[in-house]
Amino acid sequence: MRQQIQTAGELAADQTEEEHETSSLTSTEASTDASEADPAPDTSLPSGAGAGDTGSTTRTARPTLGVLALIIGAVIAIVGSWWWWSAAHDDQLAAAQDRDSVLIAGTEGIETLNTLDHRDPAADLAAWEDVTTGQMQDGIAAIDDNQRQMLADEQKIATAEVVDAAVLDLDLKSDRATVVAAVEITVVDDATPDSEPTLKRNRFSAQMKLVDGEWKIENLQQVAVSLS
Amino acid sequence: MTRLRSLVTARLTPFVVAGLLVLVGAYGLWQAQELRSTTAAENLAVVDATLTAEIQSFVTTGLNQVLTYDYTDPEATTSAADQVLAGDARDEYDTLFADLQEKAPGQQLKLTAVVQSVAVKEATQDSAVVLVFLDQTSQRVTDNQGSVSAAQLSVTVEKSDNTWSITELQPL
Repeated sequence: MRQQIQTAGELAADQTEEEHETSSLTSTEASTDASEADPAPDTSLPSGAGAGDTGSTTRTARPTLGVLALIIGAVIAIVGSWWWWSAAHDDQLAAAQDRDSVLIAGTEGIETLNTLDHRDPAADLAAWEDVTTGQMQDGIAAIDDNQRQMLADEQKIATAEVVDAAVLDLDLKSDRATVVAAVEITVVDDATPDSEPTLKRNRFSAQMKLVDGEWKIENLQQVAVSLS
Repeated sequence: MTRLRSLVTARLTPFVVAGLLVLVGAYGLWQAQELRSTTAAENLAVVDATLTAEIQSFVTTGLNQVLTYDYTDPEATTSAADQVLAGDARDEYDTLFADLQEKAPGQQLKLTAVVQSVAVKEATQDSAVVLVFLDQTSQRVTDNQGSVSAAQLSVTVEKSDNTWSITELQPL
């Protein structure tokens, strides 16, 4: 250990000497550079000399190496911690996660709100309430027994599947987002048991709102044809 | 003996501490890398506003041009297709267009496409998958028949040589 340190110290000393030699050989411009560079090795040495040992460069280099290792270690630790902290507090990374979770919630919500089975409408309506918020949720909660009976009497089973969906916009300041989806709705008419199920293709736009950490549908609209 | 040991300890301590600091730093870098390499993090859709707007604008303009057709000026559509389409989208379009070219002059057909919304689903700096809502009207001058239709498309775009092009067009 000691031997290695001494060697390293000697090498450092040799290098300093070489610097002096080369600089003295080069032009006047270079020599002014060398005179500027000179103080650098000198200032690094006294810190070693201050540690107690007297005299030669080889001895003073010993504690410097430890200090150097500590400085490098500290720099790496600070850089690593900073990277970690900045990744953990990166707005874009946080937004990316919100984008993905609102897409999942929106997809599921749009499917739920287009699904209704006449055999148990109460369960489906409860699910509708679960995925909505605000006025839309109030509206679903206000569906009374008469209306429920009407739904049951329709004898239809509607099942929705989102074919494709994406987030159109995301505003984390107001905790709102818009999810658009291409939806395929299959309707089975139990009133005429032999009939084939009908397929409908629809496109929807869902206003999403973050409520207590969960994305809910605030408003669901069909995207109608508009040629202006 | 004890003197030698304490001497060795004193000399080694800075290096041990330095080693621990390096470990702390390395762990931080590893954690940062983990956070930044998730699927969510690598998808720039929506979160990179500039990139998202650039893709939306390209797809809107591109599809409006390519899917709009006037029997009196078919070249406008074909030259737009040359600029905007590539790969599979180009091949499919050529088949479709050949069919259209046969019927259109006889029926005096006009098609107008209006892109309603382009939602970016996945994006990197040079590729993206988007969901497009599009309205199309067709008019036959011969019998003055018109129709309006709503379409949903999954569109793949790629960027090369600083230019975007549509490489896949999938009706949903």
